[in-house]
Amino acid sequence: MYTSPLREPLIRGNKNYKQVTDDILSPMAGKPSKYWYAGITLAGIALLFGAWATFRTVFYGIGEWGLNKTIGWGWGITNFVWWVGIGHAGTFISAILLLFRQKWRTSINRSAEAMTLIAVMCAGFFPLIHMGRLLLGFYIFPYPNTRALWVNFNSPLLWDVFAISTYFAVSLVFWYVGLIPDLGTVRDRATTKIRKAIYGFLSFGWTGSARHWSRHETVSLILAGLAAPLVLSVHTIVSFDFATSVIPGWHTTIFPPYFVSGAIFSGFAMVLTLMIVTRKALNLEEYITLNHIESMNKIIILTGSIVGVAYLTEFFIAWYSGVEFETYAFFNRAFGPYAWAYWIMMTCNVITPQLFWFRKIRRSVVLTFIISIFVNIGMWFERFVIVVTSLHRDFLPSSWTMYSPTMVEVGLYVGTLGLFFTLFLLFIRVFPVIAVAEVKGVLKSSGEKQKLTGHE
Amino acid sequence: MVMENQKFVLTKKLSSLIYGMIGIGILSLAVSFFIGTGGERIAANLLLNTYYFLALGLIGLFLVTVHTIAESGWHTSIQRIGEAMSSFIPVAGVLMLLLFVFGGLHLLYEWTHEDHLDEILLKKVAYLNAPFFYVRFAAYFAAWILLAHFIRKYSLQLDETGDLKYYRKFRIFSAIFVVTLAITSVTSSWDWLMSIDAHWFSTLYGWYVFSSMLASGTAVLIILLIVLRRMGYMAHVNSEHIHDLGKYLFGFSIFWAYLWFSQYMLIWYANIPEETVYFYERHKHFSTIFYVNLILNFVVPFFALMTRDSKRGSLILLPVSVIVFIGHWLDLYQLIMPGVVGGEESGIGIPEIGITIGFVGLFLFFVFRSLARAPMVPKNHPFYKESFEYHTQY
Amino acid sequence: MNKYITAYYLDEEDLLKGIGQMKAKGLKILDVLTPFPVHGIDKALNMRRSRLTRVAFVAGAIGAVLGFGFQAWIFTVDYPLNIGGKPFFAVPSFMPVAFELTVLFSAFAMVIAFFVSNKLGPGAKALIHDERATDDRFLVVVEVDDSLADENIKEIELALAEAGAEGITLKA
Repeated sequence: MYTSPLREPLIRGNKNYKQVTDDILSPMAGKPSKYWYAGITLAGIALLFGAWATFRTVFYGIGEWGLNKTIGWGWGITNFVWWVGIGHAGTFISAILLLFRQKWRTSINRSAEAMTLIAVMCAGFFPLIHMGRLLLGFYIFPYPNTRALWVNFNSPLLWDVFAISTYFAVSLVFWYVGLIPDLGTVRDRATTKIRKAIYGFLSFGWTGSARHWSRHETVSLILAGLAAPLVLSVHTIVSFDFATSVIPGWHTTIFPPYFVSGAIFSGFAMVLTLMIVTRKALNLEEYITLNHIESMNKIIILTGSIVGVAYLTEFFIAWYSGVEFETYAFFNRAFGPYAWAYWIMMTCNVITPQLFWFRKIRRSVVLTFIISIFVNIGMWFERFVIVVTSLHRDFLPSSWTMYSPTMVEVGLYVGTLGLFFTLFLLFIRVFPVIAVAEVKGVLKSSGEKQKLTGHE
Repeated sequence: MVMENQKFVLTKKLSSLIYGMIGIGILSLAVSFFIGTGGERIAANLLLNTYYFLALGLIGLFLVTVHTIAESGWHTSIQRIGEAMSSFIPVAGVLMLLLFVFGGLHLLYEWTHEDHLDEILLKKVAYLNAPFFYVRFAAYFAAWILLAHFIRKYSLQLDETGDLKYYRKFRIFSAIFVVTLAITSVTSSWDWLMSIDAHWFSTLYGWYVFSSMLASGTAVLIILLIVLRRMGYMAHVNSEHIHDLGKYLFGFSIFWAYLWFSQYMLIWYANIPEETVYFYERHKHFSTIFYVNLILNFVVPFFALMTRDSKRGSLILLPVSVIVFIGHWLDLYQLIMPGVVGGEESGIGIPEIGITIGFVGLFLFFVFRSLARAPMVPKNHPFYKESFEYHTQY
Repeated sequence: MNKYITAYYLDEEDLLKGIGQMKAKGLKILDVLTPFPVHGIDKALNMRRSRLTRVAFVAGAIGAVLGFGFQAWIFTVDYPLNIGGKPFFAVPSFMPVAFELTVLFSAFAMVIAFFVSNKLGPGAKALIHDERATDDRFLVVVEVDDSLADENIKEIELALAEAGAEGITLKA
């Protein structure tokens, strides 16, 4: 397929197919670096903090948290939505960018999908722990029981159960099906018997047969076609948790697409945070190039701007509606006791992504890394502002009060951060972080060398 | 290559058809007045059509500019169609202005009835007042017309000279247009459409209307492309290009349905009377159109365009595009009519059908005029060769 | 006992050309192994279109009907409950779960069908002709019947060589 020479190459260094395999699989061999050990130790400590917090919550109950009658949802659900949102970028990159034939996705989709799975696990932890009695968590599924009761299908919280479960299951399957050919490659290069056996098992007997590849492509495309509306539906259903209520600041029709845009926004920021470190640490800068970083930054401007327009819309309509409760809700956000959270959110979410209009900033690795962190901070605060400010002052002034998290709630959050980084660090040791076969597939059209043979 | 410099040639047959349609439109307008159709209904039809075809023009340009800033290669070969659609924007502006100035504003919007403002409308007076309305109107059209003008100018200059500096300007103005449209399409839909039901509000409204116009604009682009190909033009367009457009139609229709459902379900679920009153009116007096809207704009494209083959040729794609075009007209109908005219006085009759035919003719007049002014193939566009040799892996 | 003649290319374009030449000579190719999907190979090997899409559609339809129907049955027949004044047959409420089940059924049925039709799965044994088929070599595999005479085998090997393949080997 003809590619205009105006396009920047996606794979640098004049690679041939063999080099691609070598470059991407080499981080899996040998001993991990001292940075890896440092990283996983830190993550492990965070995980321990989370374990303590979990113990306190399960053993002593939700009273260990800072919630009260007025503000029944605090850090717990903020973190839930934050993690689910982050997860969406992985599916966006795998599925939606596949449907749009964006070749640059091939260097980042494997890691992004892994990130999705881990993020969804972290997210799922919060609904589970907030039940208090974790062991009865299975109540949320509709199964025939002696109480003759079913679950409440009218509740968005239940829709969430189906949405998150489906999302995790389909993402897992999508990630794994894509991974199988690469696992075959790892198996065939394995030097020890154990590695050969393990990857042999994991690769499900993959040989690279043309017939298998053909079906594999069909499956990938259809899964992408299914995953694209799925990812929209999941964060939409999460937004329904709030939008189906009658609370000012929660009940607003723009929530579904606004939440989805916000999710992709924060998700891409997390992908950037991870990929910028990974590409340096694993020497993959020729595969995850400045072009990739710039493309991801463009998506950040796009989704960040959509989020910004949504903020303005909500603000305007709150006034336009003439409903004093609605108007007050937004006034209170900007000028009430939680104003500090609101302005952090506005600065991080509205101002920082707009910096990416400047090419120099788009192509700066250091600035991108910093901005990506700010975006994730901003998006955390967005969920905090939506959840807490809307609850703490709604219709009845006598109910107005404040909320602040306890150390236990902080511990649970830090614990999930620990889980996230632990699992991601393990991922890069055990699996190829870049989709080897997919990169080879675009090497001819988008690599630096236009024609390559394998002859050394 | 002969084909590369090919311009559109308006045949006698085509121009008679177009003039005929415009004639029907003017005649229908006159007849409507004559047979005593309410002023509200006529004004509503004029608003519906000026808005609809304005939106088609804006979306035509939007599709061009979005693909430009996304550095899409395949789209360059059909770029001229989007540019041609955008030539209608100033025409719509003039017609809309005439409509508003010559009594339309008063007939359409209850917030202009200054002696009847209740307490809710009084709260919105700072935004919903005629002077500010016109200021915004002027701002929207100034921005759109200026941007469309420059984008078209640079596109043609790039083609004539091949100098890449025009490509860079083209890109910058494309980006400015996309951002501008993102905001102005939302606020203009509040001004012209949402304020019809001035007691009601919905934060999703602007995006909902945009998604409706996006689906329809894509459908119209497809119809124009297929019609041009059948006339012998655009021979370099192959089934890959058409497949991509078909995918867009499929995807945008689903996206529209998703927004339709979001707005409807949330208002249904919370059951707050000041919000549900909007759908109550539509269920009571416009229920057929309300549900036909869903069938034409979602059910039909979803099932008809699911298979790969259906999107790769005109056999299914053309009728589905026409259905979507009609469907979103009906969508606008049920956005405008209930608030302006109400159940008893409204219907689908001479004003609706005749005036619409007139606008179709007028739209086509300007589209073909634009296509005749420049080669249909932007041969000096840096990505044109990619579009010309377009084969994909999937 | 099955014997195989394998030969490889180092470039996928050469592979496609070679396959064309082999087909012209009437060579029966058992399989082609590549490190990534090669565009055009479906046509070259006359592969019929996958039926997995049909599996996905049917399973999705089943999921939709099951999802919507189950909720409707629970709320209208088995245990109707008044939830916030909503009607028992609450169509908008049933949509999210019905949609999720559609996607779930569709995805899983198709992936399971994919594994079954390719005979892939946990514990499946891969017959590895050349370890570099998953690295940078594009392998062509021809099956050789035991009964085939030596001269026929030589013919096949010659055909492969003329089609530009390298590393032609006969193995058990």
